[in-house]
Amino acid sequence: MNTFILGNPGKCIGCKACEIACSVAHLDTSVVKANEMNLPFISRLNLVRTSSVTMPIQCRQCEDAPCANVCSVGAIVHKDNCNVVLEEKCIGCKECMLACPFGMIDMQPKFTEGEAEFQVGLKVESLQGEQKKAYVVMQKCDLCKGRANGPACIEVCPADAFVIVNPDFIRKNIHDKRVSSAQEIAKRKYTGNS
Amino acid sequence: MVDKDTDIIKIDAELCTGCRRCAEVCPVDAIEGKQGTPQFINVEKCVMCGQCIQICSAYASIFEEYRTSREDKLRERNMPVTLEEPIFAAYNIGDLPKVKEALTNTEAFTMVQCAPAVRVAIAEEFGMPLGSLAPGKLAAALRQLGFNRIYDTNFAADLTIMEEGSELVQRITEGGLLPMFTSCCPAWVKFVEQEYPELIPHLSSCKSPQQMAGTMFKTYGAQADGVEPDNIYSVAIMPCTCKKFESQRPEMNTDGYQNVDAVLTTRELAYLIKEAGIDFSSLPEEDFDKPLGMYSGAGHLFCATGGVMEAAIRTAYELITNEPIPNVNIQYVRGSQGVRRGVVHAGDVKVKTVVVSGLKNVVPILEEIKKGNADFHFMEVMTCPVGCVSGGGQPKVLLPKDTEIAYKNRISSTYRHDEEQTYRKSHENPEIKAIYKNFLGEPLGHKSHHLLHTEYKQRGYCK
Ligand code: SF4
Ligand code: SF4
Ligand code: SF4
Ligand code: SF4
Repeated sequence: MNTFILGNPGKCIGCKACEIACSVAHLDTSVVKANEMNLPFISRLNLVRTSSVTMPIQCRQCEDAPCANVCSVGAIVHKDNCNVVLEEKCIGCKECMLACPFGMIDMQPKFTEGEAEFQVGLKVESLQGEQKKAYVVMQKCDLCKGRANGPACIEVCPADAFVIVNPDFIRKNIHDKRVSSAQEIAKRKYTGNS
Repeated sequence: MVDKDTDIIKIDAELCTGCRRCAEVCPVDAIEGKQGTPQFINVEKCVMCGQCIQICSAYASIFEEYRTSREDKLRERNMPVTLEEPIFAAYNIGDLPKVKEALTNTEAFTMVQCAPAVRVAIAEEFGMPLGSLAPGKLAAALRQLGFNRIYDTNFAADLTIMEEGSELVQRITEGGLLPMFTSCCPAWVKFVEQEYPELIPHLSSCKSPQQMAGTMFKTYGAQADGVEPDNIYSVAIMPCTCKKFESQRPEMNTDGYQNVDAVLTTRELAYLIKEAGIDFSSLPEEDFDKPLGMYSGAGHLFCATGGVMEAAIRTAYELITNEPIPNVNIQYVRGSQGVRRGVVHAGDVKVKTVVVSGLKNVVPILEEIKKGNADFHFMEVMTCPVGCVSGGGQPKVLLPKDTEIAYKNRISSTYRHDEEQTYRKSHENPEIKAIYKNFLGEPLGHKSHHLLHTEYKQRGYCK
């Protein structure tokens, strides 16, 4: 079963530290200070804030991934219990974005070594004349695969607002539920309250 | 009453998510508001330490629309509009426009001073490793920016030790009010003034090094260069946002001249250097100017918690015993615990000391003093977590996990720089000897009293 990360709206204080950590973790250069960040933060999770809830949301790594099922160029593949995007294949058609039932997919500009990448053929007409058009690709949570300390968002959150839902977690959760239902049923039977 | 000029630390209501992490670090509970809604700063309580600026992680996202454009936000903050770095909810109002104007004004004779904590952090703004030591490049950059004299707060820190050390010895030997408190940290001073006014007489009457430097620029410095004090524009580069507040205090004025005209934080100086197109990392190593730019290792220590104490002990020991101190490295005052107590045996005199970092840690001690239970002579207090190296105007670290290593490296280069100096004690600094011989007379004398000491006063807000 795929592992995913779930935010806890009861704990999240809405500081956006997770968004920063996620953006920084996905740069191909090391960035420690605010002034080194001379490109926008491009996070793979998104902090939702409404009047009633504050909660980070990110990819659920669905078993039958709707995004992968609709992708016409095969840019989403399954690897190490996770749905992974092959950025070099992605053509930015937004099919996956529409298919995702949780709205956890973003089309975001692609940066390499701190520089935006531009398309070869496409130009944009603007008041300043013809401009190059940035490369935009689908980006979503990849569970920080390959990062030594694991998911950056979990590591940074001051409120402990994330849980890793992995097969062990689910197995234990399901097991505990079964045990408690069994106990509940048994109790009712012997006290004759059924 | 809120003085507009003291309204230095702000929270952008459009960006603030109301997480209240700033309220957690605020030492005086000055941040008010409900969880999840934009916060406000109670200006009367706020001690302008800028720790809220350092911790805030709510940033302006390119995926959201705000009523105020990024450019307007940068302008409101007095930050260059060409800046590419992200902007956050908590910020300080900068002083760059004033300083740029002074630098282009041909009438103005600009004198700049640089606080010790700036040279252990500014290089971080140019991609060098955390805590890189860069005094020479810093002096070179200030010269290229066009300042007429590149002076140093470290010199004034040495001067502070002469005055404050003598004041302490006088209070101990002649029976003055004890314990005596350091008065170098403006946030700490403001805190005493507003929350413990009855303890104000415990504060040393010394101005802080920033202000002492400013006074000397417009008197001794003016003489040295044959310029009129009227034409001197005095700029300070500081790791601290509260130094902006301190420089504007009416008490910080000598004979009608404000000691310091403008204060830039470490980050603001970095913006200025970048805007001028100066390549910091490849600058040559240059010296600060004389006379007001020469310093001892002791003066440099002021930027770390325990540093003022260590510098004071090096001098006070010799004032009391007339003998050289056996070991200049005074380990027990160093470290990062909130409160460090110790005793110095100077001949027959036992000087009991307390070093406090983090303003919250001082409250129990002040209560102890109020009850009359204090059994020590001298207390150093710095508001920020490990002293000025962790000040609110220092380079902003994005993720909290990197803060610790940044502090550690800045502190270790502080002690390394002290060890590199020819003179390690304030009273051995030849320019300090010269200034007393040629200008000031003696510590605590009439002239030094007029120029280097001040009075602190009760403030509106009291708890
Ligand atoms: S696990 Fe990594 S990629 Fe996924 S949201 Fe957290 S930081 Fe971003
Ligand atoms: S870091 Fe934690 S508390 Fe902060 S916004 Fe993200 S989930 Fe919420
Ligand atoms: S100013 Fe920043 S740290 Fe403070 S509550 Fe607002 S978002 Fe949080
Ligand atoms: S500047 Fe310091 S005292 Fe003022 S609100 Fe921020 S943390 Fe609190």
